Amino acid sequence: MIHRILGTLASAASQPSDERQPTPAVRLDGVTHEYGATGGRLRAGEQRTVTALRDVSIDVQPGETIGLEGPSGSGKSTILHAVAGLLVPTSGSVELIGTDLTPLSTRKRTHVRRQHVGIVFQHFHLLPSLSARANVALPLVQTGVPKRARRKRATELLTQVGLGDRTTHLPSELSGGERQRVAIARALATDPTVVIADEPTGELDTATGNAVLDLLTDVGRERAVLLASHDESTLAVADRVITLRDGQVVADGH
Amino acid sequence: MSLRYPVVRTRAVIGLAFAHLRRSPGRTVLAVLAVSLSVLAVTLLASLGAGVVEVGETGLDNANRDIWISSDPVDPSASGTENPIADSHGTAAELTARDDVSSAAPLAMHEVYIGTEPDDLERTSAVGVQETHDGFDFQSGHGFDRVEPPSDGERPTEPQTAEIVLDPQVADAVGASVGDTVYIGTSRETAPDYEFTVVGTASYYSQFLGTPAVTVPLPDLQVVAGTTGTDRATFITADAAAGSDPAAVRDDLAAEYPDYEVRTSDEQVEAMVADRPLVLASGTTLVGLAVIGGVVLTTNLFALMVTQQRRELAALRAIGLSRHVLAGMIAVQGLVIGLLGGIVGIVATPPLTHALNRLAHELVGFENLLQTPPEVYLVGFALAVGVGTVVAGITGWRVGRTLKLQHLEL
Repeated sequence: MIHRILGTLASAASQPSDERQPTPAVRLDGVTHEYGATGGRLRAGEQRTVTALRDVSIDVQPGETIGLEGPSGSGKSTILHAVAGLLVPTSGSVELIGTDLTPLSTRKRTHVRRQHVGIVFQHFHLLPSLSARANVALPLVQTGVPKRARRKRATELLTQVGLGDRTTHLPSELSGGERQRVAIARALATDPTVVIADEPTGELDTATGNAVLDLLTDVGRERAVLLASHDESTLAVADRVITLRDGQVVADGH
Repeated sequence: MSLRYPVVRTRAVIGLAFAHLRRSPGRTVLAVLAVSLSVLAVTLLASLGAGVVEVGETGLDNANRDIWISSDPVDPSASGTENPIADSHGTAAELTARDDVSSAAPLAMHEVYIGTEPDDLERTSAVGVQETHDGFDFQSGHGFDRVEPPSDGERPTEPQTAEIVLDPQVADAVGASVGDTVYIGTSRETAPDYEFTVVGTASYYSQFLGTPAVTVPLPDLQVVAGTTGTDRATFITADAAAGSDPAAVRDDLAAEYPDYEVRTSDEQVEAMVADRPLVLASGTTLVGLAVIGGVVLTTNLFALMVTQQRRELAALRAIGLSRHVLAGMIAVQGLVIGLLGGIVGIVATPPLTHALNRLAHELVGFENLLQTPPEVYLVGFALAVGVGTVVAGITGWRVGRTLKLQHLEL
């Protein structure tokens, strides 16, 4: 089944774009998502929910960098989670290279995410006990790539992000900007179709943040990138910026 | 299907687990200590249970008798306050006359008061036997020779030899040594009437009873206790004749003496232990609590360990690692901590057992009260490794299902 899904994904990605409308790397169609509310006193049988997304539809083409802006709670992170298959929306569909993720099991969504989605976290989430190279190689563990090949691939990626001389350093021995570059290298380990980044410069100073954005811009030349941020300078690198308010798209423009 | 992927993944999982353990050496050491405490709780309590049975068996083995005849209940802790076998010398003579029995002798136990001064007496246990032997391992002096049982119709009114062997602790307590005279009686009032000469010190029957005991010739003890007329004893012990099967002799004697309980040495130990439901229940409860406590402690430990790692685990899950890998990673951590905790617990068991045995000897007179057979070590080690790995694996599997996106603090 997994092979069939991956086959579908691969064939969808290889369809010639000059004959038909190109398949978006990511498509959200009428996505609504409600979280169960916690806290407060509920009556028996009563269920309180918070609507995070309301009928959101977005297409992201390969090679396109999309910026998501909006205040806290506007739904930016929920969109990223839905694209990564980390949550299944209450209604609507989330397609990754033409395949709807919403009917897939958790295991299959994990498999698709592993192969096609790279994630860059605001807080890096590097394993402190592992070297930069081992952190970058982590996503390849699950795919059964031998250790030597993992190390080679990780070293190449670290060199690409300018950390070729830091491969054996622990995260605690790296600056914030270097850690985020390691995180970006890790996101690229499986050569994903889509990269999502949630506040990638949120913990960095301006100069370091700009360097990271330059790197993400390079990444976005070959991939679809979804970038969530409050920061206008971060969003400036996006090809399109989608503005969200209360879970709804209120603006979508260049 | 190629084995390469599972092998590669397994090696990576082991590497990740060790990296986690190395990350917080203090936490790892504490976890190992907690598991070793669980192991120690189990091994020491189980050693106590095994030791109680072993001490009883050793006591009976030291008596070197094949058959034990009694009239239940027999409770050595009460030190033979009941001596239900009447005409014990007559019965022993009947047994000795049989072809399948080489010898038989009665044994009685009483609580007595003893001291070097009539008005300064200590309460202790007394065992009445026909003779002492080399197995007594005398610390000083010697024993007493065989005292012939009274012939029919004759009942002594005075001690025949008036010789006594003191337990070393009793000797210290009353301030007596070999050659001294001590007063002995079953009450403070009668003690001044009987003067015995200390001929040796040995703890032979103290081991049997688990409390300091003095040893005197049985006819003399019967005189002191006032049971000469009925010739009462707690046990009659017998040896099967050469070539006779003790079990077959037991069956014959049981048929011939239906009023008495006839047991082999091993059966007698079991009966004495089984006659103590409170002790058995307490021992079982303690061992059960130790095991349950060990499991609960280990479970909490690994749950806490996983909780502390939940952000990292959530990140690993987000970047595509499967629940199998996460569960395997935690299980390997559990296995390593269980192995180390098990080894520490097992290594610490002998010295702690030795220390507790010394304490028990000082307090209650038992030597080697805690004894640790290999099975106890195995159980303790299996608990550490098995429970550690299983609990950690289950916890890791569950955490793979329950990881929240909020753990990533996106």
